[in-house]
Amino acid sequence: MNRTWLVIKHEYLKHVKKKRFILAILSLPFFILLMVAIGFLSVIFQYDNTPVGYIDRSGILENSIDYQAEAPIGFMKPIDFIRYTDESEAEFALNNNNIQAFYVIDENFMETREIKVIANEVPDSSINSEFYTFFKLNVLKDLPATISDRVMEGASFEIKSTAEQKSANEDNVLVFILPFLAGFLFIMAVNISAGYLLQAVVEEKENRTMEIMITSISPTQLMTAKVIGNLSVGLTQLVVWILFGIIGISSLFRLFPDLQSTKIDFSFLLLTIMVFIPAFVMIAAMMAALGATTTETREAQQIAGIFTIPMVLPYWFMQVLMEKPNSPLSIFFSIFPFTAPVSLPMRAAFSSIPAWQIIITITLLILFAIAALWFAGRAFRLGMLRYGKKLSLKEIFTQRP
Amino acid sequence: MNTIEVNNISKTFGSQTALDQVTFEVKPGEIFGLLGPNGAGKTTCIRIVLDIFKPDSGSVKIFGNGMSEGKKDQIGYLPEERGLYQDIKLEECLNYLASLKGLSSNESHKRINEYLVRFNLDEHKKKKVKELSKGMQQKAQLITTLVHDPKLIIIDEPFSALDPVNTQMVKDILREQRDLGKTIVMCTHQMQQVEELCDRLVLINQGKSVLYGTLSEVRKTYAGHAIHIRTEDQIPNSLPGMKEIKRLENHHLYQVDLDPEVSPQDFLKLLVAVNINIDQFEIASPTLDEIFIQVVTESGMKYE
Repeated sequence: MNRTWLVIKHEYLKHVKKKRFILAILSLPFFILLMVAIGFLSVIFQYDNTPVGYIDRSGILENSIDYQAEAPIGFMKPIDFIRYTDESEAEFALNNNNIQAFYVIDENFMETREIKVIANEVPDSSINSEFYTFFKLNVLKDLPATISDRVMEGASFEIKSTAEQKSANEDNVLVFILPFLAGFLFIMAVNISAGYLLQAVVEEKENRTMEIMITSISPTQLMTAKVIGNLSVGLTQLVVWILFGIIGISSLFRLFPDLQSTKIDFSFLLLTIMVFIPAFVMIAAMMAALGATTTETREAQQIAGIFTIPMVLPYWFMQVLMEKPNSPLSIFFSIFPFTAPVSLPMRAAFSSIPAWQIIITITLLILFAIAALWFAGRAFRLGMLRYGKKLSLKEIFTQRP
Repeated sequence: MNTIEVNNISKTFGSQTALDQVTFEVKPGEIFGLLGPNGAGKTTCIRIVLDIFKPDSGSVKIFGNGMSEGKKDQIGYLPEERGLYQDIKLEECLNYLASLKGLSSNESHKRINEYLVRFNLDEHKKKKVKELSKGMQQKAQLITTLVHDPKLIIIDEPFSALDPVNTQMVKDILREQRDLGKTIVMCTHQMQQVEELCDRLVLINQGKSVLYGTLSEVRKTYAGHAIHIRTEDQIPNSLPGMKEIKRLENHHLYQVDLDPEVSPQDFLKLLVAVNINIDQFEIASPTLDEIFIQVVTESGMKYE
């Protein structure tokens, strides 16, 4: 056990201590941060908080209700609306840059629905819509509060599949995002960890250190240590990214308080984890087997790509999974072990999956994981001393180590 | 108790027979030569002894019984396929491999530093392994073989890639290890090294053991019925009991093949009787190289 630990430590630190690893781990959040920052900056630079003026010829804004406009980003100064009675006065203010634009509401607005905008530069569409919200509020001010509030808020669309009681609410954005995100993270985790693992096994062959290793520890210990050590590297990377993600999301919540109403379904998370763990082991073991049967890192990486294709396949059929979560294709995708990790959570978000299907999926995944481990163990013992010669499938099944 | 007992082991890879009923013993404290031409099955044999491969039939005992994880610490192995982690520092690599043989961190640092100094690798210990020359890597590999002070040392082609100075150093180390009571199995096809170092040997050809015993026994078995004579006189072309005569490197050295029923003693008497002045008279003992070539070609013809 002690020696297994030594190998785990060595495999883990070998990657984690490298500058390349630290750069790789920081580059993704940095890149995302940069994109977000650029997005924010462009909003900040485009946004003009100079007040806008208006001239009301319709009389709708007589004794107007106050409306506090919303700035696109929480901390920015919202625009003010200034009332002018005279067009020349407003023009004077516009030319002195006291206002960025002014709206002229037509005398017969109720018939013509015409609002003229006068400005030196076209104002941002968000400013138009803010002004219109203010105006709409005043149009509706004589109606009972319950009615006007409904109109102002708009409807909340709820998506419901015909056969099931499960529903997704548009307000609960996470229900849509979570399965995608979970699947995406899963694929990332698998690719990263499996990549490290693959490299670690092939490297042992490229360095010809296998004989030294297995005359010091048993092949099982070596294999176990390599799997755990390298999966931990992938997980470390993932955990760091998730931490950055949590920091990012919580700061998003602070900036956009509207999102706070969303909540995450616990049973959904449980299902996701139950599917991900055996799938993770299955794919990791297959990568290890692949590493043991091939002779060069580059060759192994090319073949490894084949495993990624079925995993991302459900994304191409996303629409089917969302709109017809109980169609035969969706059911097949959520049961077939390679597509299940991405498909099952996606289906679960839009429909209630019968228990028997979940049981079949998870059982199949566990069986595949065990078979993959067995296969990897054999491939490892048979292939470890094959330098420059590939191991064939037939040999793995028939030959005695 | 013998250090290694190999009992009738056979191994096939697909249709190819790598080993066929090989049997030998290695006694404690000796240097044992495992010889054979390229592809004879030496490495397969060693891998079976080390439990890397399982034999199809037959059995192997190490230190009295089967292989176990605990025994791996008492064995130092220098594989034919030299391997060190190329991408890490030499010192780190050696310490890691030593720790897997059960050495504590302090102990392995201490011993490795001693060896690095002895092998003139001390100034290179901060370099990555891949930056070292082949000879240096070979010496580094030897450190990993010896650092945990194993009771049994198994080395596959220990002198390949070494210059004469380093070859001498490795020979000295092997002798020193033997004097410390270690058992050494040396796998090679360099016969002069075997003649210098080995006490006993087994010769494997095409998976079969074709020669087995102490160095002197083997020599005696293959000592033909020949003598070397150095003389300035002319030896007559035909003498009783003389089958063939040929001149060796210079004009005064001859090799004479005798009839089987004539002893060298009788032939010497005859030479004296015919008045030939003899500067040198010796029984021609074949070199291991000659035995090796003879056995391999003979058995090769037999099995082809």
